[in-house]
Amino acid sequence: MDRTSIKKWFKAPDKMGHKYSLWAVYFCTGCGIIEVPPVITSRWDAERFGVIPVATPRQANLFLITGYVSLKTLKAIIRTYELMPDPKYTVGFGSCPINGGMYWDSYNTIKHLDKYIPVDGWISGCMPRPEAIFIAVTHLWTMIDKGMATGYIKYREKYRYYRQNQEKLFGKLEWPPLYPMEDKNG
Amino acid sequence: MDESLKKELETTFRNVLVSLPEDDRMVVAASEETVLSILSFLKNKGYDHLELISCVDWIEEKKFELVYILTSYSEKEMRKHIILKTKISREKSEFKTAISVFENAEPYERELHELFGINFKGHPKLTHLFLERDYKIPPFRKDFDTREYVKEVFDKIPFVEDKK
Amino acid sequence: MVIKAVWIIVLPIIAFIIGVFFLGLSRKVIARIHRRYGPPIYQPVIDLIKLMNQKSISHGRLFDMGVILSLAGSIVLVLFIPFGGIAPLSGSGDFLVVLYLMLLAPLGVALSGGEGANPNISIGISRKMMLSLGYEVPLLFSILAVMTYYKTTSLVEITKAQQHLSWGVIYLPLPAIAYFMILPAMLGIRPFDIVSAPQEISSGPSVEYGGRYLALMTVEHAFHTFIVLALFVDLFLGGGNPFTFFVKMLVVFLLGLFIHAVFPRFRIDQAIKYCWKWPSILALAGLVIAYVVA
Repeated sequence: MDRTSIKKWFKAPDKMGHKYSLWAVYFCTGCGIIEVPPVITSRWDAERFGVIPVATPRQANLFLITGYVSLKTLKAIIRTYELMPDPKYTVGFGSCPINGGMYWDSYNTIKHLDKYIPVDGWISGCMPRPEAIFIAVTHLWTMIDKGMATGYIKYREKYRYYRQNQEKLFGKLEWPPLYPMEDKNG
Repeated sequence: MDESLKKELETTFRNVLVSLPEDDRMVVAASEETVLSILSFLKNKGYDHLELISCVDWIEEKKFELVYILTSYSEKEMRKHIILKTKISREKSEFKTAISVFENAEPYERELHELFGINFKGHPKLTHLFLERDYKIPPFRKDFDTREYVKEVFDKIPFVEDKK
Repeated sequence: MVIKAVWIIVLPIIAFIIGVFFLGLSRKVIARIHRRYGPPIYQPVIDLIKLMNQKSISHGRLFDMGVILSLAGSIVLVLFIPFGGIAPLSGSGDFLVVLYLMLLAPLGVALSGGEGANPNISIGISRKMMLSLGYEVPLLFSILAVMTYYKTTSLVEITKAQQHLSWGVIYLPLPAIAYFMILPAMLGIRPFDIVSAPQEISSGPSVEYGGRYLALMTVEHAFHTFIVLALFVDLFLGGGNPFTFFVKMLVVFLLGLFIHAVFPRFRIDQAIKYCWKWPSILALAGLVIAYVVA
């Protein structure tokens, strides 16, 4: 810890706390999860960045979407995302959540994940190397520092549109809206 | 694979074509009516495990080909695969359920109903297994246009940013 | 009187610092055993700051009160256990009080978990109760052996007696071994982390805790670690002044940690069978010997 970071700690301890203690929820979608075990265990050791996996969304604040998202998985992803406490950060891992990837013409795979939940950052590649996760984490640090990782605020403000998009796929959802459905900006 | 089983099958059932393409594999092509009796016949012979039910869409012939793959757990010499094929009409797309012979046919038949739209008569619960949405044409049929479907459903959902 | 009041405030703070230090140390040591670099040793402090600043979701009044009850029970317990000869609330029969107060923390978690209404919580709580049923048999036997040998129910007296003579572990080796064998079960670390098995029941009782609730639970866990280790040092390793006391705690904790780092997890039936077999037999034998000798 040098002088500037100590200054930052005194200025905004909450921001620094969120930065250096990113807890990722155990959630495996698709093939990308195979890159995560080496990341959290001895080979690459994500714990030195403060990233540890936790088993329940109530304790997590980082959501790695690892790989293609089918419709059934998307339902679970939305529920998990809504259970996580604010502030929360989402990172799409691999090319499939970005635009469908090799499943671009599949009948059951989501093409653009950010139509349904807000995503703060993407890692491209098929598959990305485990080091890419660390680059994503350090990018997320700078984004949190500059106040750019505001996906959860966007979700609250534009919840109506996100919910509409979700209901276009699933019909009526079986859980009540998380936020009031009217638009804040009128 | 022994020749005796082949002979026995050919003599017992009519319209049965048996071939032995490889050492541990036997392909039986049968007509629609005899499939269930062949299944129970093979089960009594010791082939007591249904590995898989699959389906092929022959769109030019207007046929669906159902494929039953059997093997044996109980005897070591019989750990070979018997592949039982039958063709059914594509338009009608109906068949009898095999649950009475092999109970584990239930999820496979449900899957085929979902992906190919084949109705298995006598199946207790033909509902969704994997899919979340209802499709007009079942998505594994050859005439299902995936690109058209993606354009119609996924591409029409707007980005949230675009709505100002 | 004033000194006592000061200690009542200072001692929980010391216990909190030591407990959090142990949490950080355990993560670092386990990482080194796994041949990883590991997080910085102040990582639990960062986690606590983050958790305190997170939005937290309550599930009802009992859910809040249970967490506070559990934390309060642990803080009060700290005041009864001599830390280097300092025990502000100690009286003549404080050992018995300690045994009762040790039940408050699991009770609070159980109360709060009942309000959470998650099936994983119920499974976790029932496992916790079963496990404490398992380890309390050898624990009571070994504590009875100590009480019989020193002919007192006061923890301060027991530590004082060890200052004059030698350490309790020399006179009472069998109960000490038994206590050490169930130490992982009391600390909730492997091979006895069945209560909070993240892979099976998604971290058990703490599945619904997030944000501040989880921060309080982490603090409670730090206090609990301090209490269990301090009790062992008081009973068998002779107490000492605060510094030597801390060093002894550190050694015991590291020994437990090495077991934690390399062992997989017991099933609940295996854990109960283990607890009721060797530690119980050893502690019972120790009790008989202590009765005969004393």
